[in-house]
Amino acid sequence: MTNEALIGLIFLPLLGACATVLPGRFATYLGILSGLAPLPLLLVAVTLSVAQNGPGFLELGGWAAPLGIRLFVDPLAVLMLWMVAIIGGLAAIHAWCDFPPASPSGQRFWPLWLLLTSAMNALFLSADLFNLYVCLELITLTAIPLIALTGSKTAVRAAMRYLLLALLASLLYLLGVALLYNATGTLDLYLMRDALAAAPPAAVVATLALISLGLLLKGAVFPLHVWLPKAHASAPGPVSAVLSALVVKTAIYLLYRVWLWSVPATVAAEQALTLLAILGAGALLYGGVLALLQQRLKLVIAYSTVAQLGYLLLILPMASSGAWPVAWQGGTYQLLSHGLAKAAMFLAAANILHALGSDRLSDLQRLDQRQPLSLFALAVAGVSIMGLPPSGGFLAKWLLLDAAFRSGQWWLLAVLVAGSLLAAAYVFRILAASLRRDDPTEADPVADTKAIPNVQTACAVLLALLALAAGFAAAPMIEFIGPGAPGAWSRP
Amino acid sequence: MIGLAMDCVLALGIVFLAVQTVRSRSLFQAMLMFIVFGLLMSLSWARLHAPDLALAEAAIGAGITGALLLVTWRRLQAEGHDPVESEQSAPSMWLTLPTAGAASLLVVIIGWVALQLPAVPGTAGELAWQRLEEVGVSNPVTGVLLGFRAYDTLLEMAVLLAAWLGARAVATEFRPGALPGPAHAEVPLVGALLSLVVPISILVAVYLLQAGGSAPGGAFQGGAVLAAGGVLLCLTGRLEAAADTSGLERLGLILGLSVFSLVGLLVMAGGGPMLALPGAWAIYLVETALLVSIALTLVLLFAAAPGLRRAS
Amino acid sequence: MNPSALIYLLTAAIVFGIGLHGLLQSRQILRQLLCINLMGGGIFLLLITLGGGADGPPDPVPQAMVLTGIVIAVSATAFALALLLRWHELGDSTELDAVANADANTHDE
Repeated sequence: MTNEALIGLIFLPLLGACATVLPGRFATYLGILSGLAPLPLLLVAVTLSVAQNGPGFLELGGWAAPLGIRLFVDPLAVLMLWMVAIIGGLAAIHAWCDFPPASPSGQRFWPLWLLLTSAMNALFLSADLFNLYVCLELITLTAIPLIALTGSKTAVRAAMRYLLLALLASLLYLLGVALLYNATGTLDLYLMRDALAAAPPAAVVATLALISLGLLLKGAVFPLHVWLPKAHASAPGPVSAVLSALVVKTAIYLLYRVWLWSVPATVAAEQALTLLAILGAGALLYGGVLALLQQRLKLVIAYSTVAQLGYLLLILPMASSGAWPVAWQGGTYQLLSHGLAKAAMFLAAANILHALGSDRLSDLQRLDQRQPLSLFALAVAGVSIMGLPPSGGFLAKWLLLDAAFRSGQWWLLAVLVAGSLLAAAYVFRILAASLRRDDPTEADPVADTKAIPNVQTACAVLLALLALAAGFAAAPMIEFIGPGAPGAWSRP
Repeated sequence: MIGLAMDCVLALGIVFLAVQTVRSRSLFQAMLMFIVFGLLMSLSWARLHAPDLALAEAAIGAGITGALLLVTWRRLQAEGHDPVESEQSAPSMWLTLPTAGAASLLVVIIGWVALQLPAVPGTAGELAWQRLEEVGVSNPVTGVLLGFRAYDTLLEMAVLLAAWLGARAVATEFRPGALPGPAHAEVPLVGALLSLVVPISILVAVYLLQAGGSAPGGAFQGGAVLAAGGVLLCLTGRLEAAADTSGLERLGLILGLSVFSLVGLLVMAGGGPMLALPGAWAIYLVETALLVSIALTLVLLFAAAPGLRRAS
Repeated sequence: MNPSALIYLLTAAIVFGIGLHGLLQSRQILRQLLCINLMGGGIFLLLITLGGGADGPPDPVPQAMVLTGIVIAVSATAFALALLLRWHELGDSTELDAVANADANTHDE
């Protein structure tokens, strides 16, 4: 039953995309609904099975690895799949209003959206390095057209830069994979550890560096983030939400898989993981400062993504310390809570942009009267981004602080605190701009605010509330996530 | 010895053309250099005992990619972008030196790593040789593509579909005449030539498809050859750009992906493992669907139009 | 190692390097695309050479990877060219700001 559910997660959106290409309104609706609606149901089955039986493999075509390709499902994969289903699902409902399926814009939007959903599900489940390359390319070639869909100059420009860098990143990754196949004779992520332990360490490190460089570029990790802010800020709202909440995380997810699952502890020297964490720290500080300097709401949120991705790398140096289970819980919780909160912010920002015709911070005054619910979503999601209780973001950051404290990594403590302060500053800057009431002489700004469909407002609010609720539902989720990579690291 | 000399000449030629692609001042010249680079690559695949790749590189790498580049160039010109203007200004030393340094460092690393890492026995490839019979074909590449790693091939079809969808999504509204037809009045010979070349391309495509099981060839090479026939029909004005994608074209675009997926799912519904193609007939069925989709997608990408119609 | 294998190995690494150099220093999008394709060619050559192509029929798994890679490369190129045409219709030049300068002008648009 689980196997069918796993296949369904990949193939329902894929066949849904095919159906939306076919002529006729009926095929389009059928494709969208059958491609997206059943995903949560399938995930319930998968989650129950993983909770009961633990992680598992599925051999495609019945060919055992290393000959064939396997799917691998474990709590981390399940978490990511849930994020695709929930964030992707709510963003899709939001998109339904702007891209009605029967309209010409909908005809362009939905096949790509469904393929992107399928590609992300496939990536989170794949256990094969080359198959992951194909997934990465499929994500690139579906996400970028969605950015450029509006056809504005900024969007096309940002899409072009993103495309070139994403292709470069894929090639670096592919080069590493080619060398790894030569050294290990397998492409399976979970079979290569022993072969890698036997190979000359320096050569393996160089190969892993190529793969990591590619993934860091795809994941927009500082200082390779240059393409992200404009690409994420100029995309249509639901696309921005999915890009920031899910698409960049695919690369971080693969970094975790490679460094924590496939690489023997002898090779993955402490130094390599510390270097990655330093990049994370740089991202946290640089992204935070740049977010503070932006004049447009969507750019603030996009730079906030650059910053928040930093947290995900900060946990890596703790992999061999006794604090690892706590650090891992903090990291995965950050994945989840940032995803929910960031998607909420981008959807709210899209609503505001629609209603006001501008998302300049200077134009946001009296937002509490013009778009109260969107502002509410922004604020609630902001609470999670800042890491204030009782949000999911608070829990994530609290766990990270706890882990840094336990492992005695004092510099991490400092970085974590500074990151939160910067986040607080840029979130409050948005709120302050929205509550301003200057210019009483000016014509009433409330009057020329366009109405937003209630559904779109609801999607943003719901995501923000989910980010908040993640703080309350912590215990079962933390229990489900468990200690992370099994046996990869010797812990004192 | 002669073989070694040939390898040296090929290698030098490949490096020379790569340098020219980067360095030649005119962009147009760079494109031509790149296309010839693809042809030399194709020769080196033949030297490296990989005829499947030689065919694919010649048909797709050099052929279709070249056609796409050249037609884009022509469209850019039609938009009024003078090619002379697009000559590359000499990049500053400050940019050239560090990038050259970084690139050479990487070259050294790649070479060093490749020499350092010992090739291990018992690779996936050796297993593929041993268990090829179980797939039901004798060409190991086809065996891997549609047997052991069929899932990769399936997702690759999704990538091709995504490229078309993406190209349509970013395209501006359709303007008639977007397709560069014949530049001048047609030479009488063209018609006669076409009536020869197009059937031959179909014939070659079908041959490559059926040969793929046991000899070099397969759906991708065949699809690219068929697409080349379609490109010729576009270039000579036999096919015209249309304002919308017909139902038949839409069906053709998704045929490969959906037939492949559905056959896989049916096998699973019957109790087998997902994507285990039951025997050679299923492989040929899937490959035929793939060939149609590949050829159609490539021609439509070349035409940069929603659809194609027979010229009136 | 077979001398032919060594030659092709070297060629692969050099072609990849040339492509990377060209990609980083060129400002013309079309040429950057060519460079990306060059880099891909280098990787493909590496895969087949390491797969033993110089000594006999190479490992079929890398061959399948290269075949898949070629199709992905043409797909990506085709989409990139479509995006390039769109870019032109918006009246931009074919030159992209050097990527390194990207941050300087992100403050406002």
